[in-house]
Amino acid sequence: MMNDAITSIEREQLISAASNEIIIEMETVNKWYSDFHVLKDINLVVRKGERIVICGPSGSGKSTLIRCLNHLEEHQEGNIIVDGITLDKNLKHIDHIRTEVGMVFQNFNLFPHLSILDNLTLGPILTRKMPKLEAQAEAMKYLERVKIPEQADKFPGQLSGGQQQRVAIARSLCMKPKIMLFDEPTSALDPEMIKEVLDVMIELADTGMTMIVVTHEMAFAETVADRVIFMDQGEIIEENEPKKFFNDPQHERTKLFLSQIL
Amino acid sequence: MAINDNAKPSKPICSKDKFDFFNDERARSFLYQFMTAVVVIFCVWYLYSNTAHNLAVRDMSTGFDFLSISAGFDPSFTLLAYEPGVGTYADIYLIGILNTLFVSVLAIIASTSLGFFIGMMRLSNNWLVSKVALAYVEIFRNTPLLIQLVFWYIAVFSILPKVRNSIDLSAGAEVLLLNNRGLYMAWPVPGDLFWMTGLALIIAGAGVVFFRRRAKKKRDLTGQVTPTFIASLALLFFLPGSVYLLTGSPLSWDIPKLEGFNFSGGAALPPAFLTLLVALTIYHAAYFAESVRAGVLSVNQGQKDAAHAIGLKPMQMATYVIIPQAMPAIVPPMISLWMNTVKNSSLAIAIGYSDLVSLFMQTSLNQLGHAIEIVGMTMAFYMSISLFISWMLNIYNKRVQLVER
Amino acid sequence: MAIIKTKSTPPREAPLSERSLIGWMHKHLFSSVFNSILTIFTVCVLYITLKGLWAWGIVDAVWIADSRRQCFEISSGGACWAGVFDWLENIFYGRYPRDELWRINLGGLLLLLWIAPLWLPRVKAKVFIALSTMFLYPFLAGYLFAGGGKGVFMQMMISLSILCLLGNTLHAAIGMIKGISLSEFLTRLFSKKNWHRKTEHCLLLGLFLICFCVVYFWQMSWQIEAVAWTQWGGLFLTLVVSGIGIASALPGGILLALGRRSKLPLIRILSISFIELFRSVPLITVLFMATTMFPLFMPEGFALNKLAQVIIAVCLFNACYMAETVRAGLQTIPKGQYEGAHSIGLGYWQTMGAVIMPQALKNMIPNIVGSYIGLLKDTTLVSIIGLFDVLGMLRSVSKDVVWLGMHKEPLVFGAILFFLICFAMSKYSRHIEQKLLTGHKNVTANKRKK
Repeated sequence: MMNDAITSIEREQLISAASNEIIIEMETVNKWYSDFHVLKDINLVVRKGERIVICGPSGSGKSTLIRCLNHLEEHQEGNIIVDGITLDKNLKHIDHIRTEVGMVFQNFNLFPHLSILDNLTLGPILTRKMPKLEAQAEAMKYLERVKIPEQADKFPGQLSGGQQQRVAIARSLCMKPKIMLFDEPTSALDPEMIKEVLDVMIELADTGMTMIVVTHEMAFAETVADRVIFMDQGEIIEENEPKKFFNDPQHERTKLFLSQIL
Repeated sequence: MAINDNAKPSKPICSKDKFDFFNDERARSFLYQFMTAVVVIFCVWYLYSNTAHNLAVRDMSTGFDFLSISAGFDPSFTLLAYEPGVGTYADIYLIGILNTLFVSVLAIIASTSLGFFIGMMRLSNNWLVSKVALAYVEIFRNTPLLIQLVFWYIAVFSILPKVRNSIDLSAGAEVLLLNNRGLYMAWPVPGDLFWMTGLALIIAGAGVVFFRRRAKKKRDLTGQVTPTFIASLALLFFLPGSVYLLTGSPLSWDIPKLEGFNFSGGAALPPAFLTLLVALTIYHAAYFAESVRAGVLSVNQGQKDAAHAIGLKPMQMATYVIIPQAMPAIVPPMISLWMNTVKNSSLAIAIGYSDLVSLFMQTSLNQLGHAIEIVGMTMAFYMSISLFISWMLNIYNKRVQLVER
Repeated sequence: MAIIKTKSTPPREAPLSERSLIGWMHKHLFSSVFNSILTIFTVCVLYITLKGLWAWGIVDAVWIADSRRQCFEISSGGACWAGVFDWLENIFYGRYPRDELWRINLGGLLLLLWIAPLWLPRVKAKVFIALSTMFLYPFLAGYLFAGGGKGVFMQMMISLSILCLLGNTLHAAIGMIKGISLSEFLTRLFSKKNWHRKTEHCLLLGLFLICFCVVYFWQMSWQIEAVAWTQWGGLFLTLVVSGIGIASALPGGILLALGRRSKLPLIRILSISFIELFRSVPLITVLFMATTMFPLFMPEGFALNKLAQVIIAVCLFNACYMAETVRAGLQTIPKGQYEGAHSIGLGYWQTMGAVIMPQALKNMIPNIVGSYIGLLKDTTLVSIIGLFDVLGMLRSVSKDVVWLGMHKEPLVFGAILFFLICFAMSKYSRHIEQKLLTGHKNVTANKRKK
């Protein structure tokens, strides 16, 4: 029965992939770390089902930008509207948005004192008030989706980096988010593990999930992304379709960056 | 090719036919250990022969016979029935141990709670509160405990009023009185049927455990949260309370009364005890606060990010993510702080609280001699406490390792 | 569809809420209702406490008076600092003869002179300076403080340390001016180009011997009056005991820690039992043991004075604590460091001395200084067994007829004194730690922490 419910949601998402419904809106967002201006006049609109890749040199504010989206960081000026809710100091709004937005971190950030299964069920049980057994069944389903159901009873420390990152993705999916944020999900991984994580992400993209991915994996950007955004020194420099972005970069700094990493 | 492949080592480093005694690992290790053993044995023999000679010259006896001699002095504070002139030095030893343990255990409980509180203040995002906690920690950690102890004793507990003008801490009920002879409090005397109240308390406790288990099971199955806190509090309160009233309130209080120049009845704690308790608590709380802070800060920022990202609220984050991970970093230093509290309680000697060191190592030793036996027995006590505490630490570490693997 | 930003936005200043005082206060003091209540409550508590302390210690305090009675007449509710000032000399020097105080001051000055080069940037061979302070200075200072007749050994050591001090100072001066060491300077000054290294060494040795003889004969010409240890006291005694403890704790601790990690079972077991024995008992019992049992252990007729007994006890006790600190430092060193050292052919002592120990001790600087602070604080315990250290002197103020019954002020003064010393030590150790850390860690790692 649960299976049906999920697929129906997925179908819904697939249908809406092409829709024009706006799910994230950033209006002239500015942010400072004390005196350091990290985000400068960021304007960004994300539609439901869109897949966006953000790239740029380190220190350009990519991570800060997506961390602002679920209020891990506070912005000082401008508006961020996620799923129709404006992010402000209202704690209820923040809690709501955080359950709607999943996030995958560079360093996985699994809870080392909990088993894999407990890592997955912690959120649903505590924030979604889901019965434990149901949450576990759900969690197993997502573990199967990321292809490691057999590791459910182990602890994070016993898993390889790639496996841990897949668990982290499953943990976010367990919250049934509308949006998934990925903060350099593969940059802490050994080369041979990058593919297994990217495969899971591609599969996720195929289900019509709205995704914002900070990454330097250009092949992933080319195949999956609807738009590529290039950031430098705290501002969005260039925004384009992946093909045009890679084949015909317009801005000098984009050209320089691409020549360095490709 | 700069490397000469054909070059042979000009000298064999390790030849088999010639046994090089000084460069053979096993021979060398044997030699070192043998030399150490010789030196140690010589030292022990030297000290032993000196001691034996000195004892013989001074005509001093050895052995533990002195424990059965009756001690003529009166320890000012005792938890056991003791009569000067009748009780033996073995009793004194026991009283000393109990007094040390009594003040240490109370100080451990109090300093752990206070330290936890200060540690929380230190971590507060309120700048002022965190700085006040920092000032507390720095002030009490950077001054000697002995000065603090003497200060509390002289500056605070010696300016308490005389017996007649006792401060009533119970606001007029005269059941908790503080004066320069100490703290006097009413002491409960259980009557005949009091055991039934106790039984009711146990039943209520069991009921609460059962109730909470059921609530948890229900939550696991259906996701519904049953509020258990108020219900269990009510159960714990009302069941024993009603039994107590039904059995006719079988508990009377022994209330301290002013008779002549002093109070009689009730229970009394001497000022030296209170001073020691206060000083130990305040001093060790500062250390404990720092270890709480260090433990909580040792949890990676990423863990908090992840907990936020799955939508946990601050309290949930603390109970399910931060505290379980901070505990392994807090508990070991905390346990060794407990050990320090027991050890530092020996400073009691400076203000005349009759703990083990002051009763046994000072007074008894002055009266009897028998330095070796008395020093040995005192140290043996502290060592067994230390062993007990490191045993606890080992158990904890093993459990932590089991959980995290 | 493509968006390209051609002009780059210049960085703006943060909004007022980020940098103004009001913004800061809003963020750190009044971010929520609960926080605001907390802030106001804390301010109230602070105001009441500090106001009381201020009134007692500063406003109502009496700074100049002849006796406690006079203090009371001037102001009954305030502190009577006049008594502390009156006793200041006693608190610092104990009962040391007043005419001989210059010896203590000179001893302190010489120590400063000796270790000052450690802070000068261009001076070389700092390890040698530190070691010479640890091993030679005690003889010089010991004789300065105790005085009396010198034995031959004492004469040798005193002349050696005077020579070393002179050499040190010269070395530091040359280092500051020219950036080279003393021996290098001397060789350049005297030797000719074609001289062999051996001849150069002989020259240096000869110079050293000549200087040594000069100093030796000079010091034979004078002698200072003996001061019995029973007259030592006050902060001076505290610093002597803790100074010897500090100087000996680290070497002792290193040896014990190495013993504890040794592969040889006998040495390991002996070290462990020694360390654990001393760590599991309170210092006061060790002090009692020293004063009651040492006389029994020593051969008949050999009497060690109480001060020496106490110092030995303090040294042993603190070496054991230091051993555990050093061991913790050794555990922070990854195995790769040992393997690296072995792979370039270093033996056990070379590995330890050149590779492992420097790193382990560096990692442990705050902890080492922490145990030094503990040692300094613990030294007050010697007052319990009847030495008149600083606490002993502070407590005897109240027994002075003129200041009879004045307890609080001396104790508060003593607490402030200890606080200043200990706080400075711990702050300085953090400063050194930070200085050493910047070389290793990425500075940008701190950027994200707002």
